[in-house]
Formats: sequence, structure tokens, C-alpha cells
Amino acid sequence: MRALLDFIVRYYHWFLFLALEGLSLVLLFRFNHYQSSVWLTTANTVVGHMDTWQQQALRYVNLGKENQELMRRNLVLEYNISLLTDQLAKLTHDSTFTERRQAERFDSLNMIPARIVTNSVLYRNNFLTIDVGERDGVQPEMGVVCGTGIVGIIYMTSDHFSIVLPLLNSRSHISCRLRGTGYFGYLKWDGRHPMYAVLDDIPRHAHFKVGDIVETSGFSNVFPPGIFVGKVSAIENSDDGLSYKLFVHLGTDFSRLQNVAVVAQEFQPEVKALEERADSLAAKN
Amino acid sequence: MFKFTLEDMVIIFLQRLLWLVALVVAQMMVFNNVHIFGYATPMPYVYLLLLFPLGTQRWLILLWGFFCGLLCDVVSLTTGIGAAAMTLAAFVQPPLLRLMAPKDAAEDMHPSFSTMDFWPYVRYAAVVTFVFCAAYFLLQSFTFFHILDLLIAFLSSWLLTLLVCVAIEGVRGGRKKSL
Repeated sequence: MRALLDFIVRYYHWFLFLALEGLSLVLLFRFNHYQSSVWLTTANTVVGHMDTWQQQALRYVNLGKENQELMRRNLVLEYNISLLTDQLAKLTHDSTFTERRQAERFDSLNMIPARIVTNSVLYRNNFLTIDVGERDGVQPEMGVVCGTGIVGIIYMTSDHFSIVLPLLNSRSHISCRLRGTGYFGYLKWDGRHPMYAVLDDIPRHAHFKVGDIVETSGFSNVFPPGIFVGKVSAIENSDDGLSYKLFVHLGTDFSRLQNVAVVAQEFQPEVKALEERADSLAAKN
Repeated sequence: MFKFTLEDMVIIFLQRLLWLVALVVAQMMVFNNVHIFGYATPMPYVYLLLLFPLGTQRWLILLWGFFCGLLCDVVSLTTGIGAAAMTLAAFVQPPLLRLMAPKDAAEDMHPSFSTMDFWPYVRYAAVVTFVFCAAYFLLQSFTFFHILDLLIAFLSSWLLTLLVCVAIEGVRGGRKKSL
């Protein structure tokens, strides 16, 4: 304490000097706009620089933590990207007009999803086996479709499996029509290219052109009407010259077929029974 | 340290006060209107500090300097600048005088031509006025942006101030009267 007092007494002129200078500067800044404005900007610049340095130092210290946070964030984002990519692939895959229309039509039907067990496209008479059977509600004569068009008709069933008579079989004939005109005929396969089938019996007065859409007519009661089958790719005269023979580029690629669905028509058994009764009556007469 | 009677102290105080008033009035009436080439303005009120004898208590010089500067500020509308510069000059005056006084100088030597000789006195006055003018012009410009203008104003004003101070001292010393 005494030493402090001694110090103050000994250097009192320093304190007085600093006090008077401080008072002068206060007066200077208080009553002179120029100096005060310069002082304020200078002080602000200095303070700003010091703040910047401090922030930079703090940022450097926090880099490790930030890096960890970024890594975690990166993982989350990569996971999200993979999910979104999957969804995008699904959505864009199904986005053509025909496919969407097909999907809407299928939505309104009673569908039994199935997977192909065995498949062939190489023979004149090909067959498919699918992994659903009578236990799943599958009956012979039901239609089989896939996302891009029709596949064929159920030929035989067991408890857990069914055999499909596909379009690519010489015994297959499916009632089809030209979309928008109503002219219909039977779709058969000539046993040559697995992507092309032949639509017979289109009358000569019908107006159509290459690229017209061929769809199911619904007459056979196997397929509901309006399911996409393919597009007209070429036109020829029939062998007898009385009608046209259309080559149809099929929407279904049988060599890549994996997932199909069996179409269960609600009134199919009733219609079938009625037809059988009519047949027997005709036979009696 | 010194054995002044109260009467002596009052007389010394009144003499200094007279000097102060005279210098401030001279500054206000005459020297503030002098702007040689637009730059040089003499500020001889710093002469008050040159009068203080060796061994004066420092708080006394500081207070005189501060109030003299403040008074000049009031009449020159430069509030704070003169006070700050005068306080700084008053702070450095005692050690400077101690440094430049002759070795055999009396303990309470009054700086003048007769006690210090001409050139030593001019040197002493030059350093004190230099410190004062430097502080004054730095505070006034408050930036080094126009450094050339600043230097010209400072140097010319310093030389002019020194000249006036030496002239005053010459007139005072010529009368062979010490303060």
C-alpha cells in the first residue's frame, strides 16, 4: 500500500498529464465534428479488424467439429439421394401416356400379381408358367397382362401354379380392335419374330394407318376392352384378298418378361355358363 | 524546495496570469489572422511554457499549459486541440530544460538569453515549440492523408512560432528583467 502511494506520489505528473490529455481529447471529440467523425470511423475500422481476426481464430479452432458435422450431413444427404433416385426411376419409367393409361385401367380391375417361373420365346408353341394357381383364385381362360400390354390366357391351373398360353403360341388368338375405329379382328402369331404378331380380318373398307394403336376388344370376355396390345407396323392384303392383314409391333417384350398379373373378370364364370347353355340348346335343336 | 513567501507566490501567479492573458489576447487579435501563404500561422502562446524556471513543480506547469491551451481554443474555436498540445508541451518542458540548461546553472534558473546564451535558448525554444506544433497539427488534421500539406503547415507554423517566441524573449531580455 505504501509502495503504491509512493509510486503515485513519485509519478503524479504522469497521471495528471494523462488526465489532462484525456480531458482535452474528450473536448476535442465532443466539440469538433470532423475529428469525432474521423475518430469514430477509425475506431470502428480497428474494432472491425480485431473482430475479424477473432472470428478467424475461432473458426480455425472449430474446424474439427465442423468437419465432423459436415461428414454426418454428407452421409444423410447421400442416403436421401439414393432414396430419391429410386423413386425418380420408378416415376419416370412409367410416365409414357400409354403406360399411364394402362396402369389406370389395371387399377380398376381385380388383379392377381404373379411372377414368371419358366418362359420361352424360341419355339412355335411357347408356354409360360406363373407362380399363382387355383388357391390364389386363378381359373383357366383368365387373361394375363403385364405393365406394357397383354401376355396371354391361362391354359391350365394347379393349386399353386398356372400355365399361360401366351401370344407367342400358334394356338393363341385374341380378339383385338383398332383404337378409335372399332374395327376388330383376331391377333395371332406367325411364329417368326417374338416382337411382332398378325391381326387378321380387318375389313377392306376400314380406314387406318401405320402407327395406329391396337387394343383388346373385350368381346372374348377374357380381357377387359381397351388394354394396349401394340402398334400397327405394316399392312398387307390377306391371303384371300378380302381383308387386310396387319403386322402389330407388340408392346410386350416376352423375352424380358418377369412380373405379370392375372385379370379376374367379375362375371366371367356367369358368362361362360350362359354360353355353354346356349351351345347345348343349339345342339338339341 | 523553494522558500517563497505567500506574497512572492501571489506576485509570480499574477505575473504568469498577465503573460497568459497577454498571449491569448495577442493570439486572438493578431496571430489568428496571420496565414502566410495560407499555411503558416504563428502560435506564440506556447511562450508561456518557456518562461517556467528550472525545478518548477510539474503539476503547476501542466495546469498552466492546459488552461492556457484551453483558453486559446475557446477564442480560436479549436476546442481541445490547443489544450492537448499545450499539455504535451508542458509535460516535456521540465526534462528538456534540465537537459539543455548549462551545467553550472542555478537550481531555479529562469530560461533566457542571459542565463542560457542565445543559441542554447533558441534550441530549447525550438524543441518545445516543435513538440507543441507537431501535436497541434496532428490533432487538427487527424489523418496522414494529405501528408504534404500537413508537413508544410506544420513546419512553416513551427518556424514562425519559434521566430515570434525568440522575438518576444529578445524584447523581454533586452529590458534585463527576469521573471
